[in-house]
Amino acid sequence: MPSLPAASHPIDGSSASRGQLLAERTLPPEHLLCLEVGEKLVATCRFDLDADLNFTDGWIVLTDRRLVADTPASFDGDSRSLQTAPSPKQTHSWLLAASTRVDVHMRAAVGRIELASGDGIVASWLFTPARAKEVLALEDAFDERIRGERIHNALATRVAKATNARDQSQAIESAALTDGSKNSNDDETLDAISSPESTSGASWRSLVRILTFAKPHAGMAILGGLLSLVSTAVTLVPPYLTMPLVDKVLIPRQSGEAVPFSMIWWYLAGLTGAALAAWLLSWAQAWTLAWVSERVAADLRVRTYSHMQSLSIDFFSGKRTGDLMSRVGSDTDRINTFLSVNLIDFSSNVLLVLLTAGVLIWINPLLALVTLAPFPLVVWLVYSVRSRLRRGFIRANVAWSDMTSTLADTIPGIRVVKAFAQESREIDRFRTANDRVLEANDRVNIVWSFFGPLISLFSEAGLLVVWGAGAWLVFSGTVTVGALTAFLAYIARFYGRIESMIRMVPATQRAAASAHRIFELLDCKPTVAESPRPINPGRVQGRIELSGVHFRYGSREVLHGIDLVIEPGEMIGLVGTSGSGKTTLANLICRFYDPSSGTITVDGKDVRDLSISGYRKNLGCVLQEPFLFFGTVTENIAYGQPQASREQIVAAARAAGAHEFILAMPAAYDSRVGERGGSLSGGERQRLSIARALLVDPSILVLDEATSSVDAETEVVIQAAVDRLVTGRTTIAIAHRLSTLRRANRLVVLDAGTIIETGTHDQLLAAEGAYFRLYHAQTRAALEAATGA
Amino acid sequence: MKSSDTIPPARTPTEWQLEQLRHGHLDLIDRHGQRHSNVDVVRAFPISVPAGPIAIVAADGTELAWIDSLALLDAPLQSLLLKELAVREFLPVIKRIETVSDSEPTEWLVSTDRGLRRFTVAHTDDILRLPDSSAVITDSFGVRYLIPSVDVLDARSRRLFETSL
Repeated sequence: MPSLPAASHPIDGSSASRGQLLAERTLPPEHLLCLEVGEKLVATCRFDLDADLNFTDGWIVLTDRRLVADTPASFDGDSRSLQTAPSPKQTHSWLLAASTRVDVHMRAAVGRIELASGDGIVASWLFTPARAKEVLALEDAFDERIRGERIHNALATRVAKATNARDQSQAIESAALTDGSKNSNDDETLDAISSPESTSGASWRSLVRILTFAKPHAGMAILGGLLSLVSTAVTLVPPYLTMPLVDKVLIPRQSGEAVPFSMIWWYLAGLTGAALAAWLLSWAQAWTLAWVSERVAADLRVRTYSHMQSLSIDFFSGKRTGDLMSRVGSDTDRINTFLSVNLIDFSSNVLLVLLTAGVLIWINPLLALVTLAPFPLVVWLVYSVRSRLRRGFIRANVAWSDMTSTLADTIPGIRVVKAFAQESREIDRFRTANDRVLEANDRVNIVWSFFGPLISLFSEAGLLVVWGAGAWLVFSGTVTVGALTAFLAYIARFYGRIESMIRMVPATQRAAASAHRIFELLDCKPTVAESPRPINPGRVQGRIELSGVHFRYGSREVLHGIDLVIEPGEMIGLVGTSGSGKTTLANLICRFYDPSSGTITVDGKDVRDLSISGYRKNLGCVLQEPFLFFGTVTENIAYGQPQASREQIVAAARAAGAHEFILAMPAAYDSRVGERGGSLSGGERQRLSIARALLVDPSILVLDEATSSVDAETEVVIQAAVDRLVTGRTTIAIAHRLSTLRRANRLVVLDAGTIIETGTHDQLLAAEGAYFRLYHAQTRAALEAATGA
Repeated sequence: MKSSDTIPPARTPTEWQLEQLRHGHLDLIDRHGQRHSNVDVVRAFPISVPAGPIAIVAADGTELAWIDSLALLDAPLQSLLLKELAVREFLPVIKRIETVSDSEPTEWLVSTDRGLRRFTVAHTDDILRLPDSSAVITDSFGVRYLIPSVDVLDARSRRLFETSL
C-alpha cells in the first residue's frame, strides 16, 4: 500500500511543542499510515492514556474513508454500521458511514474522544489536556471535511465566547485601575527635591531613629559594638610590633651586634597571633551585627506594613502602588545593608582613625602632627561634597521609585496597553523613567569619580610628607628607623580607612534617604481614627441616621448637608448621575472616610465612637470590581469569616449562584484563583464576592454598582443572588441601571451632593421629577436598543 | 435560572439512581424519572477534604445530586462513584524525579505510577506544598501530579524538587 505524500497533510504544526515526551513524532507511525489508493488523509491526533489511565503514546488517523487508530480505551467489535476493517498489528480501523460522529468530552483531567455511529458509541480513547488541542482539531476536521458542516464543536465556541467576554470585562476593569493610579500625586516627590536641606536634617534624625528599632536586640547590639572595638584595637597591634622588630633586632643585627634569630620568632608569633585574633574577632562582630540588622529590617518591614494596613482608604488613593511597595521592600533592604555592612565599617573606621591618631601622638607627637596635617582638609572636602551627593541621591531615589511606579502601573493594566496597541509607548515611558535614573546616577558619579581619586591623592601626599619629615627626623636623631617604619605602616592604614569612610558617604546618604521615606510613612496618621474609648457595637440593628452630613475631598465639597434615616431592614436605592455623591455616601456609611461635618449614627450611636473593626464586622460590601485574593475559592469566600464551616461556604456559594460554576472548575472549591481573578469571568467573580458577603451575614449591606460590569444575562443570575442577599438587612444599593433597584423600599435621588427626591418608584414616577426623567431616559434607551436589534 | 436554584438538589440516594453504560458513560435518573445522560461526578473539595462532599452534575453543569459523604452510601454505589472519580481525578503519583530544567518555565521528566512523563510547569505557584509534606504539581495543561510525601523521595529527586521551588 502506498504511503502518503507529505504535502497533503493538514497536520497541526504545534505537535512538537515543549514539554512533551522525548521520542515525539510529528507523523503517525507507518502501520497507521497505510492508505489505500485514492484515500486521503484528513487529520491526525495523538492520545496519551490507555484504558487503565496509564500514559501511552497512540495515534488516531482520520482519512476521508476511515478512522484508523491504536488500541482504544473501549470499543465494540460487532458494530453493524461501522465495519471493523481487517488491519495488521493491533491497529483498529473503522469505515466511515453517513451516520458516523466524532465527539469529544472534556472532564477535569481526562478527556474522551468517541467514535459513534447512528446507534451508539463504537470506540473511545482517553487523553490528558496536553493533547486536547489536537484532539479538538481532529473533531473539527471531521465535522468540516467529512460531514461537510461548518459546525465548530460546542466546547470550543463556548470557551471562545467566555474568553471574549472575560477579556472585555477585564479590559474595562484594568482601564479603571490605571485611570485611578494616574492621578497619583507627585507632590511628595517635588517636595523632596525643592527642600533638600530640611530633608537632610530629617534624614539624619531618621537614621538615629532606626537605631531605636535595635532596642529589642540591645544585648546583641552591645556585644557587636564591643567586638568591633576590640577587633579594631587588635588590628593596631601588628604595626606596633614592627617598631621593636626593626629597632631592637634588625638594625642592631645590621650594625654588627649579636642578636639571636630566635627573637624574630617571637615577633612573628606575635604578628600571627594578632592577625588570627583580628580575623576571629571581626568574624564574630560581622555575624553579630548582621544578626541584629537583619532583625531590625524585618521588624521595620512588619511595622511599615501593619501601619499601612491601619491607614485609611484616602491614604491609598493618593499613593502609587509601586512607591509603597518600594518603601516596604527595597528601602528596608537598603537600611539592612547599611546597618549590617556600612555601619560596622563606619564605626570601626572611626575607631581606628581615632586610635591610630592616639598611637601616633604617643610614639612621636611631632611626627604625628605632620602626618595628620592634611586631615582637616580631607574633612572639609568630605563636608563640601556631602551635600552635593545627598541631593544627587534624593534625585536618584525619586527617579528609581518613579521607575517602579511605571512598572506597577502598566503590569496590572497590561490588557489596556495591549488593547490599544500602546506597547511601544509604554516602553518609551519606561525608558524615559529609566533615563532619569541614569541621569541622576550620572550626576552622582561625576561628583564621586572626581572626589574618590582626590582622596587617594591626599593619602599619597600624606605618605610623602611622612617620608620627608620622617627622614629628616631620623637624620636629626629624634626618631628611630623602627618608629618611622611603624608610622609608615600606620599611616597607610589611616588613609585607607579615611578613604573607605568617605566611600561610605554615599551609602549613608542612601540609607538616610530610605529611612526618611519609611518614617514618612510611619508618621502618617489614619484620617479615620479609632476613638480613644471605642464602643464595641456587637451586632447592630441597622438603623442608620445621617444628619447634616457634609463631605469634602480636598477643597471640593461633594456632599452638602445630607439628612437621611434608614430603618433596620430597609433597602435604599441611591440614584443619580455620576458625580452626584452616591459612592461617597456609601463610603461614609462604611466609615472609609469621616464626614467633614455632621454626624452618622447607627442604632443611635455615633459611628466615630464605635470600634472600627467591630462596626465593620456588621458590614457587607459588594463592589463593582470584585477583588479576589490569590488562594482557593474556599479561602476567598471565607475571607470575612475564616472559621466558617464547609457547609456554610457551600450554602453561601449556592445562594450566590456560584455553586455550579465552582463545581465545573478543575479542583472545584479547592481551585486556585489569581490576584485579578485569573480564569474567572466578571460575572463569576462577582458571584464569588456575593457569596463572600453572604457568609459574613452582615446587618448592613452596601452594594456599589454590583451588577453594572456584567452582561444582561449574568445580571439576571446575580440579581437573583442579590435579592437573596438583601432580605432582612439594611441595604444601601447604588445602581446606574434603575431596574436593579426594583426591590428597594425607597429611592433616594441625589444631585450634585444633595438629596432632591425621596420615595418609592411609583411615587417618584407620579411626581414627574428628576427620577421620572432618569427612568424614562433609560427605558427609552433600552427600547431603542431592543427595537434596533 | 437553573433548576438547582429553586429546587434543592436530591440529597439521598433514594431520590435518584445511577446507571453505568459502556464507554465510561454514566446516566442519572432523577426522582421524576427523567434521564440525564453522561453525568459528571465531582468532589467539592478534592484537595482539602477528599472524603468530603460529592456532587453529580449534568453535562451542562447543572447540579443534580449532592452527597455529603461517600460513607453514607451503600457499597456498590460507593465503588461505582469511586471508579468514576478515579477517571475524573486522574492524578499520577510521582515516584522519582529524573530531571528538572533550571529556568522558568521548568521542564520536568518524572517517573510516575502510570509511566514516564515529561511536562512543563509555568510558574512556581503551580507547585503546591501541603502541610503534610505532600505536594501537587500542576503542569501547563492543567494536569496535576501528586507527590504523596516529599520526605520519602530519594535524595536526588528531593534535591531536584527543592531547588525547583
